[in-house]
Amino acid sequence: MHRTARTASVAVAIAATFGISACGGSGGAEVAADEKQTLTVWAMGTEGEKLGEVAAAYKKVNPNVTVKVTPVGWDVAHQKLVSAAAAGNLPDVTQMGSTFMGEFAELGVLEPVDTKEFAKGDFFPAAWESNVVDGEVYGVPWYVDTRVLYYRTDLAQQAGITKAPTNWAELSALASAYQDKAETKWGISLQPYNLDAWQNWLPFFYSAGGELIKDGKPALDGEAAVKSLTEYASYFDKGLAKKSVQPGYDVIKDFGNGSVPMFMSGPWQTTNIAENQPQLKGKWAAAPMPAGTSSTSFAGGSSLVISKDSKHKAAAREFIKHLTDAKGQADWYQRTTDLPANQAAWNEGKLASDPNLKVFRSQMESAKAIPALAKWAEIGSKIDEAIESVTQGKASPEQAAKKMQSATAGLVE
Amino acid sequence: MSAPTATVPKGPVETAKPTPSGPRSRRRRAGVQQLAGWLFSTPFLVLFAVFMALPIIATLVMSFTDFGLRNVTDPLSAEFIGLENYTKLFQDDKFLKSLFNTAYFVVVGVPLTIGAGLVIAVLLNNGIDRMRTFFRIGFYAPVVTSIVAIAVVWRFVLDPADGLIAGLATELGMTAPDFLGSETLAMPSLIVMAIWRNLGTVMVLLIAGLQAIPQDVREAARLDGAGAWHEFRLITVPLLRPTLLYATVITTIGYLNVFEEPFVMTNGGPSNSTLTVSLNMYREGFNFFHMGYASAMAYVLFVAIMGITVLQLRLLKDNTK
Repeated sequence: MHRTARTASVAVAIAATFGISACGGSGGAEVAADEKQTLTVWAMGTEGEKLGEVAAAYKKVNPNVTVKVTPVGWDVAHQKLVSAAAAGNLPDVTQMGSTFMGEFAELGVLEPVDTKEFAKGDFFPAAWESNVVDGEVYGVPWYVDTRVLYYRTDLAQQAGITKAPTNWAELSALASAYQDKAETKWGISLQPYNLDAWQNWLPFFYSAGGELIKDGKPALDGEAAVKSLTEYASYFDKGLAKKSVQPGYDVIKDFGNGSVPMFMSGPWQTTNIAENQPQLKGKWAAAPMPAGTSSTSFAGGSSLVISKDSKHKAAAREFIKHLTDAKGQADWYQRTTDLPANQAAWNEGKLASDPNLKVFRSQMESAKAIPALAKWAEIGSKIDEAIESVTQGKASPEQAAKKMQSATAGLVE
Repeated sequence: MSAPTATVPKGPVETAKPTPSGPRSRRRRAGVQQLAGWLFSTPFLVLFAVFMALPIIATLVMSFTDFGLRNVTDPLSAEFIGLENYTKLFQDDKFLKSLFNTAYFVVVGVPLTIGAGLVIAVLLNNGIDRMRTFFRIGFYAPVVTSIVAIAVVWRFVLDPADGLIAGLATELGMTAPDFLGSETLAMPSLIVMAIWRNLGTVMVLLIAGLQAIPQDVREAARLDGAGAWHEFRLITVPLLRPTLLYATVITTIGYLNVFEEPFVMTNGGPSNSTLTVSLNMYREGFNFFHMGYASAMAYVLFVAIMGITVLQLRLLKDNTK
């Protein structure tokens, strides 16, 4: 029973914030790009592991710049970045998840991007959009991800369906057919509740023509919200999707054994399926999000930002340019299979030819990002609650939408 | 800590012949002694001040402010809002629900943990002679196991599709319920898990207590014709009282702070049925950055823990003396 009082741990974190911030701040002149210097970079997850190789290669071409990469785990990334921002010692360059952007722009610790140096047109519109706060751009898109539909083609054939569902009616029909004719346990996997269920629901909302923020206010009680919640909940009502889920549930296992023949997720699952369920080769496919009024998915990914206090801004811009131009992006795809944010990188090699990747590309072109909002984490949790109330049959979609709207009204400024 | 060192010189100095410079040098010597005392306690005092007192006071101050994300870079710009956080807390359904859940966890969990711990301790102390060490290690192992490993095992045990219990149920031709997915069963499941996890600590404490009970008291009771039950009720339990009190207080404090079990197993769900005060506080503080609000929650919990502990110390006071 070595639990320390939670009271104390919250307190310690706060005190750390207080204490460290006293010695923050910066000063001194900036260093030119061609001078000898060390650039500090923080990157998360796989990116953090692989960026070191790129940094070494970069040093060969630019001997005056040493890039020091610090990998940070995604689970601790948010907290680490907030403490670093509070202490005024963010690294020169940081990888910024798209849902973090609003918060850190609000904190005023990021250097605005020079839009003459980095052109909006080079990148996917949604990837660019997630970096814009009040008309100012704070990050350069590095890699993107978007949600698409994964489905088992072999089981679909058994169920008598040979093409991917293109709209909601077909999606629902396919889910039922899987259950009735191919005798799968479930028709589809959708997240019924818990953290970040909104990621699963958002493509439905966007495809129904919804917009999270309209005229500076949340727009979560409109027709699109009700329609998408109704559609989402219908899978649970009909017993096509499982009503409960545990944290850490891995859908790929159930996709492999056929109990869940469909799910919606991001590009990382293609590698995941290939590595963990190799027997599925040729038995599955990715398809664009089935359309409501349109087929619009939600776009995520990461951008690269420069800290306002950095003394190596010139060199940092050079390094970011290296990472985000077409050549650097294609090279990055080779190393990580992260989807390039720069559209020109998609014109060659596997990125241009692979059919599954084509699905991601076309989905990405129309995908919408989450607007960069300071309180996104909180808004997301309110949406999660609304989703939970409809999937568990506790509220009608109308009631849930209304509640979602009133709960988020004060969170957008 | 400095008090005794300050009084030491009094005796000899007082008896010394009074000289004009007497009082001053006395004061100086006392000062030096005092200084030494303070100096020796400095390492502790500094650590205590920086890592305990400061955060505790900072949290208290913060609970009266609207400290949020934008105050991170500029802490002093947080505004004082008086008791607003506290009044808001008691209108917040989610917080009230988390209070109820925590109370549920404590009221059901603590007696069961102590009871089970007592039974096992008595059995291991008297009944079971063979493989005693093996059993002790077995019961104590969950205490020293990482919560992550425990979560993996328990998720497997409770999994409704291919879990241990579900598997046994299918063998017997029944269907196991979805323990963590059901609003009514999620909390009891976590309580069972917590009992299993904390049993070891209680057991070790109580075995130590049992071994401190003098054998002659038991012998006297037996000579007077006391059976096993009487001996347990009239000798073991009363003499174990101080240990039981300690175990109960420690377990209660731990359970009031319950965080890890719901955090790893259910994330507070389904429908907030396993959301505890600590988990709610963590989310408000670190996910949404409502530090002021989270601090107020921390203080409400702190006061509750304090109150309950004092009450327990009163009620379970050692009456044998």
